[in-house]
Amino acid sequence: MSVPYLREAAAQDDLGKLVRFVRLHLGDGNEAVGKEEIDRSWGETIKILLRDQPVDREFIAQVLEKDESTLALLFYHLHLYLIRKSGRWIHDGSR
Amino acid sequence: MPTVSVTVARDVTEAIKVPRALFLPWPMGHHFGAPFHRDLQRRVVLGALGLLETGDEPGTILDLPVKWAEVRREAKTLSEQGRKL
Amino acid sequence: MTAADKSTLSAADPREAGTQLRPGLWQTINERYPGSMIRKESFVPQARLTKPLATSRLTLVSSCGVHLKTDKPLDVCHPFGDFRFMRVPSWAKHDELIIHQLKYPHDDADLDINVIFPIERLQELCHEGRLGGLTSNFFSFIGYNMDPEKFERTVAAEIAEAVVGEERADCALLAPA
Repeated sequence: MSVPYLREAAAQDDLGKLVRFVRLHLGDGNEAVGKEEIDRSWGETIKILLRDQPVDREFIAQVLEKDESTLALLFYHLHLYLIRKSGRWIHDGSR
Repeated sequence: MPTVSVTVARDVTEAIKVPRALFLPWPMGHHFGAPFHRDLQRRVVLGALGLLETGDEPGTILDLPVKWAEVRREAKTLSEQGRKL
Repeated sequence: MTAADKSTLSAADPREAGTQLRPGLWQTINERYPGSMIRKESFVPQARLTKPLATSRLTLVSSCGVHLKTDKPLDVCHPFGDFRFMRVPSWAKHDELIIHQLKYPHDDADLDINVIFPIERLQELCHEGRLGGLTSNFFSFIGYNMDPEKFERTVAAEIAEAVVGEERADCALLAPA
């Protein structure tokens, strides 16, 4: 699943291939782990928001004015942040 | 530019046809050995550098026949003795 | 290399050769990430040392993602990789360095950087006179990337140019992670 392969998948709007790549990337080559990680990071957002702490909506609005490439990459950084918060992740390429 | 690689993945090294490499039967992330095991790290570095002098045939792969279990045992002893080798 | 050092190595004797701990890695990578690996059909012409190691300047190039703690890290989150590289001063010590990487286990390297980036071992060999010198900088990048053509065109080409040009290396130790 190299970039040229993904370009082809994107051109065909092949969501299956695109998502498979995301899972492999996030799961360090293990698609099942990647799928679990995606679920876990979303689950972590709920845990955090349940704490009902103040949020900075102005900051969010400013961030959302950035370009789409920056925001798309930010999505990956946020995922990693949330996975680290969850305390359960294996990101060492050993599987 | 003469180059030498170290590798723990012999099949990858063979496939991408590096000029010369030292192979270690060790896990990823430990190409030069174990923490604080200075002697072993030196041995790996010297082994690789030696190949710069002797590895004339393209694709030369030299083995360092030290099992990871042995490295772990030595590293554990090191740690228990509270000193560095 | 002394006779004692030489005696610790075997020739490529299959009876002595260790077994790769993670067998079939090439196949696994190509199955999971088809098209992501650089492929070569033939060897490059074998370059040889033109002078002894004791008078040669060595550089170290690594995919371990190490850098000075004072530098901003490379981007380990990008799904295609980060096509930049870091210069690591060759006289840096373990305590000044940090690894940001996700794709290989570096707990032990965090304790002792020399496990994956033998910078202090090379410094010692230089002091002992076994090496003529080290380049001012070593080179580090993130090994994970999904665009091998772009990698060759950017990271690999730029490091090669720096190694030969500004760093004036005579030889290179290449260390994957």
